[in-house]
Amino acid sequence: MNFEGRYKRNSETFSKIDQLKFAASTVAIVGCGGLGGYIAEEFARIGVGRLILIDGDRLEVSNLNRQIMATELNLGQYKVEAAQERLGIVNSEVRIEVVKGWFEEDRGAELFREVDLVCDALDSMQARVGLERVCHQMALPLVFASIAGWFGQLGVSLPGDYSVSKLFGRADRGVESIWGNPAFTPAVLASLSVAEGVKILVGRQPSLRHAWLQVDLQTMEFERFEIQY
Amino acid sequence: MRVTVKLFATFREGRFKVEEKDLPDSSRVIDVLLPLNITPEEVAICLVNGRDVNEQHVLNDGDTIALFPPVGGG
Repeated sequence: MNFEGRYKRNSETFSKIDQLKFAASTVAIVGCGGLGGYIAEEFARIGVGRLILIDGDRLEVSNLNRQIMATELNLGQYKVEAAQERLGIVNSEVRIEVVKGWFEEDRGAELFREVDLVCDALDSMQARVGLERVCHQMALPLVFASIAGWFGQLGVSLPGDYSVSKLFGRADRGVESIWGNPAFTPAVLASLSVAEGVKILVGRQPSLRHAWLQVDLQTMEFERFEIQY
Repeated sequence: MRVTVKLFATFREGRFKVEEKDLPDSSRVIDVLLPLNITPEEVAICLVNGRDVNEQHVLNDGDTIALFPPVGGG
């Protein structure tokens, strides 16, 4: 690997060994919308060797306000295909695998084969809880993030934690159905997800285990809450 | 008794961020929600002094109640 070229500006933040760990890692990103698009972009730029993108949706005009993979030229295309094309010219060293379909609990073993980290970028509460169950069954670390309007939540769930079911288990739909999602909220929460995710990939402790970060971009408050067990 | 109510995310719209409330003794979380026009179904998480509780939880003097709406978008 050429540490002086593409990854020169990763250095010091990440050692050569860390960079090699990225190259040998696989991250599955479940949902390729506002959050998932930025998460995939950042993991590709950082140099994660293999990304699995899962989303059954096609791009539509209302995605243009926030989804980095959406352009006026690719509306109608599968989101994961649009992402694959873009990331292919961002970092051709990354293997991008796409699943044009929805995450389902009974497909976990097939979807997450040889995966090191899963990112929850879904938009349904039920699916989030199911994803956490699958990750725990497969002993996979999960970084979860969610957004609505100016607001977001983020955390890490390691096997046995059940943080997602505590946070998302009660409601069917979130307030995003009313408040929508502007451009900056998915970008911020996606970046925070990747910052936690890379720690897990290189073997450091994530900061938000047994906790969640409550993000308010209106007041610029980032507050951490503990999840009691 | 006196409790502190903290609202998060969209619950702050048209309401407040943090307020102190005087309540009759043995009031429950539901007695805080109703005057705020928040139904229990709208609450994703309710913490009292940092612990996860439901709307029937009985409050004590000095408690801090934190209420969060569901944030589920991606």
